Amino acid sequence: MRTLSDSVITFQKVWKKYSKQQVLNNSLREELVYMITGRKCRDDLAEGEFWALNDICMSVVKGQCIGLAGHNGSGKSTILKLISNVTYPTKGEIKVQGRVAPLIELGAGMHPDLTGTENIFMNGTILGLSIRELKKRIGDIVAFSGLDDFINVPVKKYSSGMYLRLAFSIAVHSPADIFLFDEVLAVGDEDFQSRCLKRIEAIRSNNGTIIVVSHDSETLKRICDDIVTLEHGAVARGVRS
Amino acid sequence: MFERLYVYKDLLLVFIWREFLIRYKQTTIGVLWAILQPVSLMLLFTFIFGVVLQTTHKNYPYTLFYFAGVLPWTFFSGATNFAVTSLSGNFNLITKIYFPREIIPLSGVAINFIDYMIGLAVYILLLLFNQVPLTWNLLWFIPLLAMLVIYTISISLLLAALNVYYRDVKLASTFLLQFLFFATPIIYSIDAVDNRWKTLLFLNPLTFIIENMRRVTIEGRGIILWQLGAELLGVVFLYFITYKIFIKIERAFADVI
Repeated sequence: MRTLSDSVITFQKVWKKYSKQQVLNNSLREELVYMITGRKCRDDLAEGEFWALNDICMSVVKGQCIGLAGHNGSGKSTILKLISNVTYPTKGEIKVQGRVAPLIELGAGMHPDLTGTENIFMNGTILGLSIRELKKRIGDIVAFSGLDDFINVPVKKYSSGMYLRLAFSIAVHSPADIFLFDEVLAVGDEDFQSRCLKRIEAIRSNNGTIIVVSHDSETLKRICDDIVTLEHGAVARGVRS
Repeated sequence: MFERLYVYKDLLLVFIWREFLIRYKQTTIGVLWAILQPVSLMLLFTFIFGVVLQTTHKNYPYTLFYFAGVLPWTFFSGATNFAVTSLSGNFNLITKIYFPREIIPLSGVAINFIDYMIGLAVYILLLLFNQVPLTWNLLWFIPLLAMLVIYTISISLLLAALNVYYRDVKLASTFLLQFLFFATPIIYSIDAVDNRWKTLLFLNPLTFIIENMRRVTIEGRGIILWQLGAELLGVVFLYFITYKIFIKIERAFADVI
């Protein structure tokens, strides 16, 4: 029996409000008012606002691999953003234990003018690695990406496949406890994909926790312990127990 | 404030290094740009005010006078200019990964500081070349430099955060920086200003900093202590307020950017 204390990610009645409006003149004013009054948030929806997540409760145990499924806009990526602390819940509580490596969009931290090596340092430190850790791992990262010949070339000259391979290699070599994959498994050729899946297995055998978002339910079934299906920001089908 | 940065100190270093690389990659004269910009401004001012307008002046060379003012100004305007769009321009990072957001504008302050240090080396050479007598009052330069950096950080954080919400800030800041340039004694000395206006000008910390940087290095004079106290208090207060607000509203950046 798994208890709550084992869980590395806990969502307790989490709500997240987003706005459809482009100009958010109110939001800064609201933040400052909340700062002074100490009030948390408005519970009601103003014009153009909607609940991206409503009343999400879930807990993920260390070493588990959870798949998030659902249509576009069902709240999958929002959950990942909340876990990685990019954004905050409007209501409710989130507890995350351990270092998170978000592979939410591969290559977000890459700069086109910098070479592969330079981008490894850039992207690696963004993912929370120290310079020293990176120096130690750089050989592995380059070997995994299979880009030895191109590693000193500015990444703007890479093909999109090479670009993603480099980004993925950096991410999976981070010593994080929790890995977040958002639609990133469809990267590279078959050979590279099988290496990625092997790497995921390795992470799991090291007791790493993984959250995968994908439309591809076949892949999810293959690698995940449990699949959570989201619909309009709520859990439609929960964790199998 | 510092402990949250300490965990991410390597990221800050890499950001500084990245900006430095991007800046001087594919340039032919590289770091010389750091000197070229203030030196050309200095020569321009010397030409306009010394040769064309023939303004009366202090008893030391124009070049020294203008360089002393142009250098800190270049640092301040360079850093704030970088900061304004630093967060909104890096939205792909901000909406994807968490790290203390101030790292991006701070890295801009840091690279401009490196340029400033290179410029200061030239300034010291210029002082020696003009045989300016060196006095102990030179040491006042250190607290002035610290004040300049703290003030620049505050304004950078403020502009960067505001631009996340209102893109007007970018448009306004270009204009405001021009305005501030003339409100700061760079091309004139505060000594030449009527007393009525002095108080108003001193509300701008840059006035105090830049005027006194000139005073303690070229003129060998000391600092008026109560002025230093008041300005320092103002600058530090502004720093804590802006940083506190920045940390508070930072968590919403990914949602509004």
